[in-house]
Amino acid sequence: MADYRDLWSNLGMDLEKHDLLCEALPQLYGGVYLIQENRPEGMNYYNFVVSEVHGLRIKELDDHKKAGGKVVGTFCVFVPDELIIAAGAIGVGLCGGSQFWIEDGEKVLPRNLCPLVKAIVGAKISGTCPYFQSCDLLTGETTCDGKKKAYEVLGEYAPIYVMDLPQMKRDKDYKKWEEEIYEYKAVLEELTGNKITEEKLSEAIKLCNRKRAALQRLYNARKVLNVPISGKDVLLVSQIAFYDNPERFIEMTNKLCDELEDRIKKGIGVASEKSPRIMITGTPMAIPNWKMHHLIEESGAVVVCEETCTGTRYFENEVDETQTTMEGMIKALADRYMNINCACFTPNKGREEDVVRLAKEYGADGVVYCNLQFCHTYNIEYRQVEKALKEAGIPVVFIETDYSNDDTGQLQTRIEAFLEMLK
Amino acid sequence: MEGESFYILFPNVTEGLKLEKLLKKEAIKYTIVPTPRELSKSCGICIMYEFRDESLIKRIVEEHGIRTEGFKSLTKRKAAVKFI
Repeated sequence: MADYRDLWSNLGMDLEKHDLLCEALPQLYGGVYLIQENRPEGMNYYNFVVSEVHGLRIKELDDHKKAGGKVVGTFCVFVPDELIIAAGAIGVGLCGGSQFWIEDGEKVLPRNLCPLVKAIVGAKISGTCPYFQSCDLLTGETTCDGKKKAYEVLGEYAPIYVMDLPQMKRDKDYKKWEEEIYEYKAVLEELTGNKITEEKLSEAIKLCNRKRAALQRLYNARKVLNVPISGKDVLLVSQIAFYDNPERFIEMTNKLCDELEDRIKKGIGVASEKSPRIMITGTPMAIPNWKMHHLIEESGAVVVCEETCTGTRYFENEVDETQTTMEGMIKALADRYMNINCACFTPNKGREEDVVRLAKEYGADGVVYCNLQFCHTYNIEYRQVEKALKEAGIPVVFIETDYSNDDTGQLQTRIEAFLEMLK
Repeated sequence: MEGESFYILFPNVTEGLKLEKLLKKEAIKYTIVPTPRELSKSCGICIMYEFRDESLIKRIVEEHGIRTEGFKSLTKRKAAVKFI
Protein backbone atom coordinates (compact mmCIF):
# COMPACT_ATOMS: atom_id res chain seq x y z
CA MET A 1 0.00 0.00 0.00
CA ALA A 2 1.00 3.56 -0.58
CA ASP A 3 3.14 4.88 2.20
CA TYR A 4 2.44 8.45 3.19
CA ARG A 5 4.53 8.44 6.34
CA ASP A 6 7.26 10.67 4.88
CA LEU A 7 4.66 13.17 3.77
CA TRP A 8 2.99 13.18 7.20
CA SER A 9 6.32 13.44 8.93
CA ASN A 10 7.26 16.48 6.82
CA LEU A 11 3.98 18.06 7.87
CA GLY A 12 5.06 17.74 11.49
CA MET A 13 2.47 15.16 12.43
CA ASP A 14 2.47 12.88 15.44
CA LEU A 15 2.74 9.63 13.49
CA GLU A 16 2.22 7.30 16.40
CA LYS A 17 -0.96 8.98 17.53
CA HIS A 18 -2.20 9.41 13.97
CA ASP A 19 -1.78 5.69 13.48
CA LEU A 20 -4.51 5.08 16.06
CA LEU A 21 -6.89 7.11 13.93
CA CYS A 22 -5.86 5.21 10.79
CA GLU A 23 -6.49 1.99 12.63
CA ALA A 24 -10.01 2.90 13.68
CA LEU A 25 -11.33 4.28 10.39
CA PRO A 26 -11.59 1.09 8.24
CA GLN A 27 -13.58 -0.64 10.96
CA LEU A 28 -15.96 2.28 11.45
CA TYR A 29 -16.40 2.80 7.72
CA GLY A 30 -17.05 -0.90 7.23
CA GLY A 31 -19.63 -0.99 10.01
CA VAL A 32 -21.49 2.13 8.90
CA TYR A 33 -21.11 2.18 5.11
CA LEU A 34 -20.08 -1.17 3.69
CA ILE A 35 -22.87 -3.08 5.43
CA GLN A 36 -25.45 -1.30 3.30
CA GLU A 37 -27.16 -3.33 0.63
CA ASN A 38 -27.84 -2.18 -2.88
CA ARG A 39 -25.63 0.91 -2.72
CA PRO A 40 -25.27 2.90 -5.95
CA GLU A 41 -22.06 1.96 -7.77
CA GLY A 42 -21.18 5.64 -7.97
CA MET A 43 -20.45 5.53 -4.23
CA ASN A 44 -17.20 3.80 -5.10
CA TYR A 45 -15.70 7.20 -5.79
CA TYR A 46 -16.53 8.39 -2.25
CA ASN A 47 -15.25 5.10 -0.80
CA PHE A 48 -12.05 5.93 -2.63
CA VAL A 49 -11.89 9.47 -1.23
CA VAL A 50 -12.46 8.24 2.33
CA SER A 51 -9.87 5.49 1.94
CA GLU A 52 -7.38 8.10 0.77
CA VAL A 53 -8.64 10.84 3.11
CA HIS A 54 -5.24 11.41 4.69
CA GLY A 55 -3.32 10.20 1.64
CA LEU A 56 -3.95 11.19 -1.95
CA ARG A 57 -5.70 14.51 -1.25
CA ILE A 58 -2.89 15.51 1.13
CA LYS A 59 -0.40 14.63 -1.60
CA GLU A 60 -2.34 16.89 -3.98
CA LEU A 61 -2.17 19.73 -1.45
CA ASP A 62 1.54 19.08 -1.04
CA ASP A 63 2.12 19.21 -4.81
CA HIS A 64 0.18 22.48 -4.96
CA LYS A 65 2.32 23.94 -2.19
CA LYS A 66 5.54 22.78 -3.81
CA ALA A 67 4.47 24.66 -6.95
CA GLY A 68 4.14 27.81 -4.83
CA GLY A 69 0.42 27.54 -4.11
CA LYS A 70 -1.28 28.15 -0.77
CA VAL A 71 -3.81 26.15 1.23
CA VAL A 72 -6.50 27.86 3.31
CA GLY A 73 -8.53 26.06 5.98
CA THR A 74 -12.08 27.09 6.86
CA PHE A 75 -14.58 26.03 9.52
CA CYS A 76 -17.90 27.35 8.36
CA VAL A 77 -20.17 27.72 5.34
CA PHE A 78 -20.06 31.52 5.64
CA VAL A 79 -16.45 31.90 4.46
CA PRO A 80 -16.69 32.42 0.68
CA ASP A 81 -14.82 29.66 -1.17
CA GLU A 82 -15.06 31.79 -4.30
CA LEU A 83 -12.40 34.21 -3.04
CA ILE A 84 -10.01 31.43 -2.01
CA ILE A 85 -10.29 29.82 -5.44
CA ALA A 86 -10.02 33.16 -7.27
CA ALA A 87 -6.78 33.82 -5.38
CA GLY A 88 -5.36 30.56 -6.77
CA ALA A 89 -5.38 28.89 -3.35
CA ILE A 90 -7.01 25.61 -2.37
CA GLY A 91 -9.69 25.79 0.31
CA VAL A 92 -10.28 22.89 2.68
CA GLY A 93 -13.12 22.62 5.16
CA LEU A 94 -11.57 21.48 8.42
CA CYS A 95 -13.81 18.89 9.92
CA GLY A 96 -13.68 18.32 13.67
CA GLY A 97 -16.19 15.47 13.59
CA SER A 98 -14.33 12.91 15.66
CA GLN A 99 -14.29 11.92 19.31
CA PHE A 100 -10.62 11.15 18.77
CA TRP A 101 -9.75 14.86 19.08
CA ILE A 102 -11.89 15.71 22.11
CA GLU A 103 -9.36 14.75 24.74
CA ASP A 104 -6.68 17.00 23.26
CA GLY A 105 -9.18 19.81 22.78
CA GLU A 106 -10.10 19.60 26.46
CA LYS A 107 -6.48 20.20 27.41
CA VAL A 108 -6.84 23.84 26.40
CA LEU A 109 -10.62 24.41 26.36
CA PRO A 110 -13.38 24.01 28.95
CA ARG A 111 -15.09 20.62 28.89
CA ASN A 112 -18.59 22.07 28.73
CA LEU A 113 -18.17 23.22 25.17
CA CYS A 114 -19.55 21.92 21.88
CA PRO A 115 -17.69 18.78 20.67
CA LEU A 116 -17.15 20.31 17.24
CA VAL A 117 -15.19 23.21 18.70
CA LYS A 118 -13.18 20.96 21.01
CA ALA A 119 -12.42 18.56 18.15
CA ILE A 120 -11.26 21.37 15.85
CA VAL A 121 -8.75 22.57 18.41
CA GLY A 122 -7.79 19.02 19.41
CA ALA A 123 -7.12 18.09 15.79
CA LYS A 124 -4.64 20.93 15.47
CA ILE A 125 -2.81 20.63 18.74
CA SER A 126 -2.51 16.84 18.58
CA GLY A 127 -0.87 17.06 15.15
CA THR A 128 -3.04 14.26 13.83
CA CYS A 129 -4.93 16.02 11.04
CA PRO A 130 -2.84 16.44 7.87
CA TYR A 131 -5.32 19.01 6.53
CA PHE A 132 -4.64 21.34 9.45
CA GLN A 133 -0.93 20.72 9.01
CA SER A 134 -1.13 21.64 5.29
CA CYS A 135 -2.79 25.01 5.85
CA ASP A 136 -0.89 28.27 5.29
CA LEU A 137 -3.78 30.20 6.81
CA LEU A 138 -6.87 29.30 8.83
CA THR A 139 -9.98 31.41 8.39
CA GLY A 140 -12.40 31.63 11.25
CA GLU A 141 -15.66 33.52 11.55
CA THR A 142 -17.69 34.90 14.43
CA THR A 143 -20.66 32.54 14.20
CA CYS A 144 -20.78 31.21 17.75
CA ASP A 145 -19.11 32.21 21.00
CA GLY A 146 -17.39 28.84 21.34
CA LYS A 147 -15.63 29.07 18.01
CA LYS A 148 -14.95 32.78 18.32
CA LYS A 149 -13.00 32.31 21.53
CA ALA A 150 -11.45 29.00 20.45
CA TYR A 151 -9.85 30.82 17.51
CA GLU A 152 -7.81 32.80 20.01
CA VAL A 153 -6.44 29.50 21.33
CA LEU A 154 -5.92 28.12 17.82
CA GLY A 155 -4.03 31.29 16.96
CA GLU A 156 -1.28 30.15 19.32
CA TYR A 157 -0.67 27.16 17.07
CA ALA A 158 -1.31 28.42 13.52
CA PRO A 159 -1.85 31.67 11.60
CA ILE A 160 -5.53 32.55 11.71
CA TYR A 161 -7.68 35.31 10.27
CA VAL A 162 -11.20 35.84 11.59
CA MET A 163 -14.08 37.29 9.56
CA ASP A 164 -16.61 39.25 11.58
CA LEU A 165 -20.04 37.87 10.64
CA PRO A 166 -22.92 40.18 11.60
CA GLN A 167 -25.60 38.57 13.78
CA MET A 168 -28.63 40.41 12.43
CA LYS A 169 -29.96 40.81 8.91
CA ARG A 170 -30.53 44.53 8.52
CA ASP A 171 -29.33 46.46 5.45
CA LYS A 172 -26.33 47.70 7.37
CA ASP A 173 -25.41 44.11 8.26
CA TYR A 174 -25.38 43.11 4.59
CA LYS A 175 -23.11 46.12 3.93
CA LYS A 176 -20.90 45.15 6.84
CA TRP A 177 -20.49 41.62 5.45
CA GLU A 178 -19.63 43.11 2.06
CA GLU A 179 -16.84 45.07 3.76
CA GLU A 180 -15.64 41.92 5.49
CA ILE A 181 -15.47 40.14 2.13
CA TYR A 182 -13.43 43.04 0.68
CA GLU A 183 -11.01 42.80 3.58
CA TYR A 184 -10.71 39.04 3.24
CA LYS A 185 -9.99 39.52 -0.46
CA ALA A 186 -7.00 41.71 0.46
CA VAL A 187 -5.80 39.13 3.03
CA LEU A 188 -5.88 36.36 0.43
CA GLU A 189 -4.14 38.52 -2.16
CA GLU A 190 -1.35 39.22 0.27
CA LEU A 191 -1.06 35.55 1.28
CA THR A 192 -0.92 34.22 -2.27
CA GLY A 193 0.70 37.15 -4.07
CA ASN A 194 -2.07 36.79 -6.65
CA LYS A 195 -4.50 39.55 -7.51
CA ILE A 196 -8.16 38.55 -7.45
CA THR A 197 -9.29 39.94 -10.78
CA GLU A 198 -12.88 40.30 -11.94
CA GLU A 199 -12.28 37.53 -14.45
CA LYS A 200 -10.91 35.10 -11.85
CA LEU A 201 -13.68 35.86 -9.37
CA SER A 202 -16.34 35.43 -12.01
CA GLU A 203 -14.90 32.01 -12.93
CA ALA A 204 -14.75 30.98 -9.26
CA ILE A 205 -18.37 32.05 -8.72
CA LYS A 206 -19.44 29.88 -11.65
CA LEU A 207 -17.40 26.93 -10.36
CA CYS A 208 -18.90 27.12 -6.86
CA ASN A 209 -22.38 27.47 -8.34
CA ARG A 210 -21.82 24.32 -10.39
CA LYS A 211 -20.86 22.50 -7.20
CA ARG A 212 -24.03 23.77 -5.52
CA ALA A 213 -26.09 22.67 -8.51
CA ALA A 214 -24.59 19.15 -8.38
CA LEU A 215 -25.47 18.87 -4.68
CA GLN A 216 -28.99 20.19 -5.32
CA ARG A 217 -29.37 17.59 -8.08
CA LEU A 218 -28.27 14.90 -5.63
CA TYR A 219 -30.81 16.10 -3.07
CA ASN A 220 -33.55 16.23 -5.70
CA ALA A 221 -33.09 12.49 -6.27
CA ARG A 222 -34.19 11.90 -2.66
CA LYS A 223 -37.58 13.50 -3.14
CA VAL A 224 -39.07 10.41 -4.83
CA LEU A 225 -41.08 7.80 -2.97
CA ASN A 226 -38.59 5.00 -3.63
CA VAL A 227 -35.39 6.72 -2.46
CA PRO A 228 -32.42 5.58 -4.63
CA ILE A 229 -29.70 6.45 -2.10
CA SER A 230 -29.38 6.29 1.67
CA GLY A 231 -29.14 9.38 3.84
CA LYS A 232 -25.76 8.35 5.20
CA ASP A 233 -24.36 8.09 1.67
CA VAL A 234 -25.59 11.59 0.85
CA LEU A 235 -24.14 12.89 4.11
CA LEU A 236 -20.78 11.45 3.10
CA VAL A 237 -20.95 13.12 -0.32
CA SER A 238 -21.73 16.47 1.36
CA GLN A 239 -18.88 16.06 3.83
CA ILE A 240 -16.44 15.27 1.03
CA ALA A 241 -17.59 18.37 -0.88
CA PHE A 242 -15.76 20.44 1.72
CA TYR A 243 -12.27 19.26 0.89
CA ASP A 244 -12.23 17.46 -2.46
CA ASN A 245 -10.97 18.98 -5.70
CA PRO A 246 -14.07 20.94 -6.84
CA GLU A 247 -13.94 20.03 -10.55
CA ARG A 248 -13.47 16.32 -9.82
CA PHE A 249 -16.16 16.42 -7.15
CA ILE A 250 -18.66 18.02 -9.54
CA GLU A 251 -17.91 15.47 -12.26
CA MET A 252 -18.21 12.46 -9.96
CA THR A 253 -21.32 13.75 -8.17
CA ASN A 254 -23.05 14.38 -11.49
CA LYS A 255 -22.14 10.83 -12.55
CA LEU A 256 -23.66 9.53 -9.32
CA CYS A 257 -26.79 11.59 -10.08
CA ASP A 258 -27.01 10.03 -13.56
CA GLU A 259 -27.06 6.64 -11.88
CA LEU A 260 -29.64 7.75 -9.29
CA GLU A 261 -31.93 9.18 -11.95
CA ASP A 262 -31.64 5.90 -13.84
CA ARG A 263 -32.49 4.02 -10.62
CA ILE A 264 -35.56 6.21 -10.19
CA LYS A 265 -36.71 5.33 -13.73
CA LYS A 266 -36.20 1.63 -13.02
CA GLY A 267 -37.80 1.82 -9.58
CA ILE A 268 -34.65 0.77 -7.68
CA GLY A 269 -34.56 1.99 -4.10
CA VAL A 270 -32.53 1.46 -0.93
CA ALA A 271 -35.41 1.33 1.53
CA SER A 272 -38.89 -0.07 1.64
CA GLU A 273 -41.56 2.33 0.45
CA LYS A 274 -43.03 1.94 3.91
CA SER A 275 -39.82 3.13 5.62
CA PRO A 276 -40.45 6.35 7.53
CA ARG A 277 -38.85 9.34 5.76
CA ILE A 278 -36.84 11.47 8.14
CA MET A 279 -35.48 14.96 7.76
CA ILE A 280 -32.60 16.00 10.01
CA THR A 281 -32.20 19.60 11.10
CA GLY A 282 -29.74 21.26 13.45
CA THR A 283 -26.01 21.45 13.97
CA PRO A 284 -23.36 20.44 11.41
CA MET A 285 -22.14 16.85 11.03
CA ALA A 286 -18.48 16.95 10.15
CA ILE A 287 -16.67 13.87 8.87
CA PRO A 288 -16.54 11.18 10.36
CA ASN A 289 -19.65 12.00 12.37
CA TRP A 290 -22.16 9.53 10.91
CA LYS A 291 -23.74 8.67 14.23
CA MET A 292 -27.32 9.98 13.88
CA HIS A 293 -27.76 8.85 10.28
CA HIS A 294 -26.50 5.40 11.21
CA LEU A 295 -28.80 5.07 14.21
CA ILE A 296 -31.83 6.33 12.28
CA GLU A 297 -31.25 4.17 9.21
CA GLU A 298 -30.39 1.08 11.24
CA SER A 299 -33.80 1.53 12.88
CA GLY A 300 -35.50 1.06 9.52
CA ALA A 301 -36.06 4.68 8.45
CA VAL A 302 -34.43 6.58 5.63
CA VAL A 303 -33.00 10.09 5.92
CA VAL A 304 -34.21 12.16 2.97
CA CYS A 305 -32.89 15.65 3.75
CA GLU A 306 -30.55 17.55 6.07
CA GLU A 307 -31.27 21.18 6.91
CA THR A 308 -27.75 21.65 8.30
CA CYS A 309 -24.44 23.26 7.33
CA THR A 310 -23.41 19.87 5.95
CA GLY A 311 -26.69 19.82 4.03
CA THR A 312 -28.94 22.39 2.39
CA ARG A 313 -27.36 25.42 4.07
CA TYR A 314 -24.18 24.65 2.17
CA PHE A 315 -25.64 24.65 -1.32
CA GLU A 316 -29.04 26.33 -1.46
CA ASN A 317 -29.13 29.72 -3.24
CA GLU A 318 -26.57 30.43 -5.92
CA VAL A 319 -24.44 33.55 -6.28
CA ASP A 320 -25.74 35.90 -9.00
CA GLU A 321 -23.54 35.21 -12.04
CA THR A 322 -24.63 38.21 -14.07
CA GLN A 323 -22.41 40.71 -12.22
CA THR A 324 -19.33 41.87 -14.13
CA THR A 325 -17.75 44.47 -11.84
CA MET A 326 -15.81 43.71 -8.65
CA GLU A 327 -18.35 45.75 -6.63
CA GLY A 328 -21.24 43.85 -8.17
CA MET A 329 -19.67 40.45 -7.56
CA ILE A 330 -18.72 41.17 -3.96
CA LYS A 331 -22.24 42.39 -3.28
CA ALA A 332 -23.64 39.26 -4.93
CA LEU A 333 -21.42 37.14 -2.67
CA ALA A 334 -22.49 39.05 0.44
CA ASP A 335 -26.17 38.71 -0.51
CA ARG A 336 -25.89 34.94 -1.07
CA TYR A 337 -23.96 34.19 2.10
CA MET A 338 -26.07 36.45 4.32
CA ASN A 339 -29.08 34.46 3.15
CA ILE A 340 -27.91 31.37 5.01
CA ASN A 341 -30.22 30.91 7.96
CA CYS A 342 -27.81 30.04 10.76
CA ALA A 343 -28.97 30.08 14.38
CA CYS A 344 -26.28 32.68 15.12
CA PHE A 345 -28.68 35.31 13.71
CA THR A 346 -31.40 37.01 15.66
CA PRO A 347 -34.19 36.79 14.79
CA ASN A 348 -33.92 33.76 12.52
CA LYS A 349 -37.42 33.34 11.19
CA GLY A 350 -35.98 32.24 7.84
CA ARG A 351 -34.84 28.95 9.32
CA GLU A 352 -38.30 28.08 10.61
CA GLU A 353 -39.63 28.66 7.10
CA ASP A 354 -36.80 26.61 5.57
CA VAL A 355 -37.40 23.64 7.87
CA VAL A 356 -41.13 23.53 7.12
CA ARG A 357 -40.61 24.09 3.38
CA LEU A 358 -37.92 21.37 3.13
CA ALA A 359 -39.89 18.85 5.20
CA LYS A 360 -42.75 19.26 2.71
CA GLU A 361 -40.49 19.30 -0.38
CA TYR A 362 -38.80 16.04 0.61
CA GLY A 363 -41.97 14.39 1.87
CA ALA A 364 -40.62 13.90 5.39
CA ASP A 365 -42.86 11.96 7.78
CA GLY A 366 -40.97 13.37 10.73
CA VAL A 367 -38.09 15.64 11.69
CA VAL A 368 -35.18 14.78 13.99
CA TYR A 369 -33.71 17.94 15.48
CA CYS A 370 -30.06 17.12 16.23
CA ASN A 371 -28.20 19.36 18.59
CA LEU A 372 -24.56 18.97 19.48
CA GLN A 373 -24.14 19.29 23.25
CA PHE A 374 -23.67 22.86 24.48
CA CYS A 375 -24.67 24.48 21.18
CA HIS A 376 -26.82 27.19 22.73
CA THR A 377 -28.07 28.92 19.60
CA TYR A 378 -29.50 25.80 17.96
CA ASN A 379 -30.68 24.49 21.30
CA ILE A 380 -32.68 27.63 22.10
CA GLU A 381 -34.02 27.89 18.57
CA TYR A 382 -35.66 24.46 18.90
CA ARG A 383 -38.64 26.04 20.58
CA GLN A 384 -39.57 28.14 17.55
CA VAL A 385 -38.78 25.42 15.01
CA GLU A 386 -40.87 22.91 16.96
CA LYS A 387 -43.77 25.36 17.01
CA ALA A 388 -43.55 25.97 13.27
CA LEU A 389 -43.42 22.24 12.53
CA LYS A 390 -46.34 21.49 14.85
CA GLU A 391 -48.42 24.14 13.12
CA ALA A 392 -47.62 22.41 9.83
CA GLY A 393 -48.61 19.05 11.33
CA ILE A 394 -45.09 17.57 11.10
CA PRO A 395 -43.87 15.51 14.10
CA VAL A 396 -40.47 16.40 15.53
CA VAL A 397 -38.14 15.02 18.20
CA PHE A 398 -35.23 16.81 19.86
CA ILE A 399 -32.01 14.89 20.32
CA GLU A 400 -28.91 16.24 22.00
CA THR A 401 -25.72 14.27 21.60
CA ASP A 402 -21.96 14.37 21.09
CA TYR A 403 -19.47 12.16 19.21
CA SER A 404 -19.09 9.48 21.88
CA ASN A 405 -20.54 5.99 22.03
CA ASP A 406 -21.92 6.49 25.53
CA ASP A 407 -25.48 7.34 24.55
CA THR A 408 -26.01 5.21 21.45
CA GLY A 409 -28.23 2.65 23.18
CA GLN A 410 -30.39 5.32 24.71
CA LEU A 411 -30.63 7.23 21.42
CA GLN A 412 -31.59 4.09 19.55
CA THR A 413 -34.50 3.58 21.94
CA ARG A 414 -35.69 7.17 21.53
CA ILE A 415 -35.41 7.02 17.75
CA GLU A 416 -37.28 3.72 17.58
CA ALA A 417 -40.06 5.17 19.75
CA PHE A 418 -40.28 8.22 17.48
CA LEU A 419 -40.41 6.06 14.34
CA GLU A 420 -43.07 3.88 15.91
CA MET A 421 -45.16 6.98 16.53
CA LEU A 422 -44.92 7.94 12.83
CA LYS A 423 -46.46 4.67 11.63
CA MET B 1 -19.82 -7.54 7.67
CA GLU B 2 -19.91 -11.20 8.39
CA GLY B 3 -18.17 -14.17 6.80
CA GLU B 4 -15.21 -14.18 4.48
CA SER B 5 -14.39 -11.14 2.34
CA PHE B 6 -11.85 -10.91 -0.47
CA TYR B 7 -9.47 -8.04 -1.16
CA ILE B 8 -6.81 -6.99 -3.64
CA LEU B 9 -4.02 -4.82 -2.22
CA PHE B 10 -1.87 -2.44 -4.26
CA PRO B 11 1.54 -0.80 -3.91
CA ASN B 12 -0.06 2.59 -4.72
CA VAL B 13 -3.34 4.29 -5.65
CA THR B 14 -2.53 4.46 -9.37
CA GLU B 15 -2.36 0.68 -9.74
CA GLY B 16 -5.63 0.31 -7.84
CA LEU B 17 -7.40 2.83 -10.05
CA LYS B 18 -6.03 1.13 -13.19
CA LEU B 19 -7.64 -2.13 -12.14
CA GLU B 20 -10.85 -0.35 -11.15
CA LYS B 21 -11.20 1.00 -14.68
CA LEU B 22 -10.82 -2.48 -16.15
CA LEU B 23 -13.26 -4.05 -13.71
CA LYS B 24 -15.81 -1.40 -14.58
CA LYS B 25 -15.27 -2.04 -18.30
CA GLU B 26 -15.74 -5.77 -17.84
CA ALA B 27 -18.81 -5.21 -15.61
CA ILE B 28 -17.25 -7.12 -12.72
CA LYS B 29 -18.72 -6.21 -9.34
CA TYR B 30 -16.25 -4.58 -6.96
CA THR B 31 -16.14 -2.13 -4.07
CA ILE B 32 -13.34 0.27 -3.22
CA VAL B 33 -12.73 0.11 0.54
CA PRO B 34 -10.20 1.36 3.08
CA THR B 35 -7.57 -1.33 3.54
CA PRO B 36 -8.44 -3.42 6.62
CA ARG B 37 -5.75 -3.09 9.26
CA GLU B 38 -5.52 -6.84 9.57
CA LEU B 39 -4.15 -6.96 6.00
CA SER B 40 -1.81 -3.97 5.98
CA LYS B 41 -0.64 -1.30 8.38
CA SER B 42 -0.51 1.36 5.66
CA CYS B 43 -3.81 3.04 5.02
CA GLY B 44 -5.23 3.68 1.58
CA ILE B 45 -7.48 1.97 -0.90
CA CYS B 46 -7.93 -1.66 -1.74
CA ILE B 47 -10.54 -3.42 -3.85
CA MET B 48 -13.06 -5.84 -2.40
CA TYR B 49 -14.36 -8.42 -4.89
CA GLU B 50 -16.54 -11.48 -5.03
CA PHE B 51 -14.75 -14.81 -4.83
CA ARG B 52 -16.50 -16.20 -7.89
CA ASP B 53 -14.72 -13.55 -10.03
CA GLU B 54 -11.25 -14.25 -8.66
CA SER B 55 -9.77 -16.19 -11.58
CA LEU B 56 -11.17 -13.69 -14.08
CA ILE B 57 -9.70 -10.75 -12.13
CA LYS B 58 -6.36 -12.53 -11.81
CA ARG B 59 -6.28 -12.92 -15.58
CA ILE B 60 -7.03 -9.22 -16.09
CA VAL B 61 -4.30 -8.28 -13.62
CA GLU B 62 -1.81 -10.45 -15.48
CA GLU B 63 -2.81 -9.36 -18.98
CA HIS B 64 -2.50 -5.68 -18.13
CA GLY B 65 0.60 -5.98 -15.98
CA ILE B 66 -1.07 -4.40 -12.95
CA ARG B 67 1.10 -4.50 -9.86
CA THR B 68 -0.69 -5.77 -6.77
CA GLU B 69 0.38 -6.70 -3.29
CA GLY B 70 -1.67 -9.82 -3.42
CA PHE B 71 -5.17 -11.26 -3.28
CA LYS B 72 -6.16 -11.69 0.34
CA SER B 73 -9.11 -12.86 2.35
CA LEU B 74 -10.34 -12.02 5.78
CA THR B 75 -12.99 -13.50 8.02
CA LYS B 76 -14.64 -10.92 10.20
CA ARG B 77 -17.01 -11.33 13.04
CA LYS B 78 -19.87 -8.92 13.18
CA ALA B 79 -18.97 -6.27 15.77
CA ALA B 80 -20.95 -3.33 17.08
CA VAL B 81 -20.06 -0.04 15.41
CA LYS B 82 -17.71 2.04 17.49
CA PHE B 83 -17.84 5.71 16.57
CA ILE B 84 -14.56 7.58 16.58
